[in-house]
Formats: sequence, structure tokens, C-alpha cells
Amino acid sequence: MIDGLILPFLVYFVGAALVAVIPFARGRAALSILVPVIGFYLIWNLPTGQHGQIGFMGFELTLLRVDKLSMIFGIIFSLAAFLSVIYAWHIRDRVQQIAALLYAGSAIGAVFVGDLISLFFFWEGTAIASVFLIWARRTEGAFYTGMRYLVVQVASGVILIAGVALYYRASGTIAFDKMVLPMLWPGHWDTGALGLWLIFLSFGIKCAFPLLHNWLQDAYPAATVTGTVMLSAFTTKLAVYALARGFPGTEILIPIGAIMTLFPIFYAVIENDLRRVLAYSLNNQLGFMVVGIGVGTELALNGTAAHAFVHILYKALLFMSVGAVLFRTGTAKGSELGGLYRTMPLTMIFCVVGAASISAFPLFSGFVAKSLILSGAAKEGYWVVWLILVFASAGVFHHSGIKIPYFAFFAHDSGLRPKEAPTHMLIAMGLTAALCIGIGVFPSLLYELLPYKVKYVPYTTTHVITQLQLLFFSALAFTILMRTQIYPPELRSVNLDSDWFYRRAFKAVVHYAAVIVQAVFWGVTGFINRAAIRLVDELHNSHGPDGPRAASWPAGAMVLSIAALLGLTLIVIFFS
Amino acid sequence: MAKRKTEKTEDYPALGRWLMFLERPKAVEYIVYGLYAVCALLILLDFFYTKIVYFDTERYWGFYGLYGFFMCAALVICSKMMRVFLKRGEDYYAPTDTQGEDHPDHDLMKENVHD
Repeated sequence: MIDGLILPFLVYFVGAALVAVIPFARGRAALSILVPVIGFYLIWNLPTGQHGQIGFMGFELTLLRVDKLSMIFGIIFSLAAFLSVIYAWHIRDRVQQIAALLYAGSAIGAVFVGDLISLFFFWEGTAIASVFLIWARRTEGAFYTGMRYLVVQVASGVILIAGVALYYRASGTIAFDKMVLPMLWPGHWDTGALGLWLIFLSFGIKCAFPLLHNWLQDAYPAATVTGTVMLSAFTTKLAVYALARGFPGTEILIPIGAIMTLFPIFYAVIENDLRRVLAYSLNNQLGFMVVGIGVGTELALNGTAAHAFVHILYKALLFMSVGAVLFRTGTAKGSELGGLYRTMPLTMIFCVVGAASISAFPLFSGFVAKSLILSGAAKEGYWVVWLILVFASAGVFHHSGIKIPYFAFFAHDSGLRPKEAPTHMLIAMGLTAALCIGIGVFPSLLYELLPYKVKYVPYTTTHVITQLQLLFFSALAFTILMRTQIYPPELRSVNLDSDWFYRRAFKAVVHYAAVIVQAVFWGVTGFINRAAIRLVDELHNSHGPDGPRAASWPAGAMVLSIAALLGLTLIVIFFS
Repeated sequence: MAKRKTEKTEDYPALGRWLMFLERPKAVEYIVYGLYAVCALLILLDFFYTKIVYFDTERYWGFYGLYGFFMCAALVICSKMMRVFLKRGEDYYAPTDTQGEDHPDHDLMKENVHD
């Protein structure tokens, strides 16, 4: 309690501590549901402004900076935590229950901080808490995957604090406010500029920028059924918040975001694991938000906040429905699934709601949020970027909107007849689906939470018809490609992505370097050893007990050698 | 089809049983024709309203439909070609990857309707 306010993240941390000691699994689950409710109540009633200043090693940290931007992320994180723990009601595993609360608490803590040092603590908090959701799978593969995830996430934090140190040295401030990223021209940069770039890079790693992205697709499908739902909500959206707070209007974010929307959709089409397909599409959705931050106008930043809000909901819904399929059948692979609509119709319907939302169908949440970003980019005249975003929107519908429900619930009959998802999962999915539709039908509910005043009207004739055209013709393309059997079939496979470089190429380089170093080492030491042994042997031969030098010499030999020496002396004296 | 006819559907949820109309012969055909009809209708609608847009590109008749159709087709064909270079077996990264291993049973509750 600081300034008469209870810090929202403390509720989560105290909740996690209580969960650690409650002996009954149901009690732990019930408390886990209660925590986000209390947290939500506290956040909703926070007064605007900066509170909770504390001294720390000579710095003044601000633990509570409340404005509309931190508020909307605090609200959606609370909602996501609430829905995820309902979905995870069946979990008996204490580790996962604790990790879930610590993870959500860290993320909520991070969005309310007002300085970069506190940000660092919560930033690492999300990394360390979340890895347990991957390790909770308790397989060898999950252990290694978790390790890779942890290395990347902790590295992001270390880069952040390094950047903050340099930035502080140059500017004398640790305030987490808008920073201007300087261009790094040769001869034109200093340590302060380097610090800002390090901060930017650290945000970029967590936000899954192109080529820094692969931890996401690697780790998310490796987590437990419920862990993936948690993971999908917090880490990357925290990074989006950090970028929106720290680097709005940074132009380089526009091409970065455009590439992010683009390349994951190609992978999503050929990926077999449906949870990894969703991870790729998550990456693509982040691209839209990053473009919005890069454009940086009020319209575009509103778009980013709105899109992050709705995205957390529909992405969680999609992960929940695919998770429910995994929960009942033991697999989330497109090649093994199909025809599940017969026995899991409700899960199918919730999945379709999530799919329609992510595809931005009118009356679903994606429609009222994504269009803010597209309009924001178009208004500033970014024609190429706009074309890419429209293509990416169609592509999202293609792989997330059609592919996920189609291969899981329809397509060829896999013969699997699993039971419908358990009630608590249906409740979680139902609530999330209701929110997706509710926001789509009443966009003003969302618009009121946005950081800037909204004058945007999503439901215009042009917008509705053009969007429907885009989506239905994408569906037409899917149908035609499916019926002509051009569409690539789902195959049990792994597709190489940028992680190949550190999982295979780098490993091979290290391996071969080790082989060479080893060969040189053994060669040199072997040569020295052999030479030393030979020398010792020779000395042994000549000077050893049996060697010629050790043999006893006769006295006559001594007389002879003295005579020879005397003769030599005489000759020398004679001639000198 | 013979197998489907003998399928015991009593244990299925009512909604699932109702949705099984999709298995009737020609049901999929009708859906596909429906999709063609909706697409045709949407693109014809372009004649009947004034587009309020940002770029001239958007003003072309049927731009969104055609762009969506051809770009999606290109997306799928490009992805299919990428597979030639990028596809590896499921055990490519094993044992340091989860793709090749089964999801552990302690995290699941596998149940079938006929159980």
C-alpha cells in the first residue's frame, strides 16, 4: 500500500504466495479466479496520475503511472488473466497455478510503471514466471524449448538494463516516456544513442520483430494446454505497450511492422501444428500494432491499443479452442485432426467466432480495431504499407480464419470422436466469444477506453462491403485451391525458420570449431609428449643404469686419456 | 459412405447431430454454390454505391475482391514452393523439440463419446 493505494500487481503476488500454501487444488483454482477480479476492481478505480514513488539505490522509482494508455492494457491484462484461469480450472499442478499469477502480475506491474528500472524488474519477472508454463509439460523437448525461451527472454531484459544504464548516463533520466530514436550514422552517435537503440532492441526481441521472432513460434506450442493461452496474452503485448509508450511515431517501425504482418502468413499456410499456426498468426497481428505505433498519429495509436485489446481476446479464444481439441484428442496437428464438429460442436462454434474476429468480419471485434490502423496508415499516405496490410488481412483470414477451424473440425473425417470440452473450458470460451461479438457490435464500448478521443466510424457502406469482398474472395480462393487440390496438404513436418541458425547452423559451427580446436590441441600436446618421451628414453639409454655412461671404466683408459691430454698440452705450448 | 450410415450418433451432442446435415450428399456443393453467389453479389454491389476511400487504387471496380483472390492464391502457391526448401521430418530437432513427441497424458483428459 503506497499513497493509500493498493498496487494491483501486489494482489497477484500475494495471491501467488497464498496459492503456494493452499493444500486443496480447488481452493487454489478458486483463489486464482478471485485474484484477477480484485485486481480488475483496483485498476478500474485507480486515480489518473503518478503514484507510488519509492526510493531505490538513489533513484526514484514510479510504480504507478495511470493514464489512458496504461489503463487499457491493465484492463485487458486483467481480463485475459481472468479468462485464462477459468479455462485452467481443472489444473492441479501447483507450479502452473503459481506461475500463472506471477506472470500476469508481472505483466500488469510492467504496464503501470513510470520508470525504466522498475520496468526492467517486471520485464524479467514475466520472463522467469512464464517459462514454468512451458516446463510444466515435463518432457525433454519442453525442457530444451523452455531453456531456449528463457535465454532469449532474459537476454532481452539484460539488453534493456544495459540500454537504460547508457541512456541514464547520457540523459540523466530513467523516466519511461517517449524517447526519440536517433539515427546511427557513423561519427554521429554517442553512448546515449546506443543506449536508446539497446532499449529499442530489447523491446523488439519481446515484440518478435522479424528475425528476432522465432522464440515465439518455438515456445508457445510447447507449453501446456492452459499455459499457451496464458502465454499468448502477456509477453508480446507488454512489448507492444512498451513500444507505444517509448517509441510512438518512430518511422522505422513501419517497415518492421509491415514485414511482420507479411512473412509469418507464408509459414502459417504450411505449418501442421495448429498451435504453431496460431503463433505465426499472432506474430502477424503484432505487425499491425507495430505499424500503428510507427505511424504514430492519434488515430493509429488508438488503433494499436484497440487492436491489442481485441487481439488478446480472440487470440486467447483461438488458443483455447485448439487447446480444448488437444485436451480431448492428445494432438493439435492438422494432419491428425478433422471432422470433430460432430462431437465438439460448441468448441467449433467458439473457434469460428475467434476466427471471424481475427479475420475482421463485420460485427466481430477485429473489424472495429484493425481498420483504425489501416485507416491511420492510409491517411498518412503509406500506400505500399497499406497494400501489404490489406494483403496480410486477407492472409490472416486464409490461415487463421479458415485453416484452423477447417482442419480441426471439418476437412476429412479423422475418425476421432472426442467428448465436448469440459464445462469450465466452455464457460471461458463462451465469455471470450461474447466479448469478441460484444465489442464488434458495440465498438463505442472499446473506443471509450482508447488513449485518444475517437471520431472514427467503422460501420460505413464502403468499409463493410469492401471488407466482405476481401474476405469472401479469399474464401473463394481457398475453396478453389482446395477443390483443385493445389492447396498444400497438412503433413507431419517441421519447417525451417530463423531458429535453424541458432539451433543447427550455430551449433554446427561450434561443433566443428570444437573438433578443430580439439585436433590442434591433441596434435600439439601429443607432439610435445612424444618428443619428451623420446628425450627421456634416449637419456635413459645413454645415462641410465645400463647405459654406456654408467658403465665402470677401466683405470688404463684413464691413464691413456691423461697421457693424450698431456700430449695435447705439449703441442699447444710448443706452438704458442 | 457405408461406414457413416452405421455410425452410432445417439451419444453425440444434439447440435453435432444437427450439423451432420453437412454429410448429406451435395451439401458441400450447395455451400460452395452459395459462396459463388455471395461473391458475385458482393462484387456487383460495387456498382451501386460511392466508395469513400483514401487511395485511387481502391476506387477500381472490384479491387478488394480481386486483390484478395489473387493475393491469396499467390500466398498459397508461394508457401507450397517454400515447402520444397523448408520442410523437414518431425524429428529433425529431436530430442530438443516438442514437435516429434506426444503431448504428455498428465496435461490431457482424453475422452471419447462412446466411452
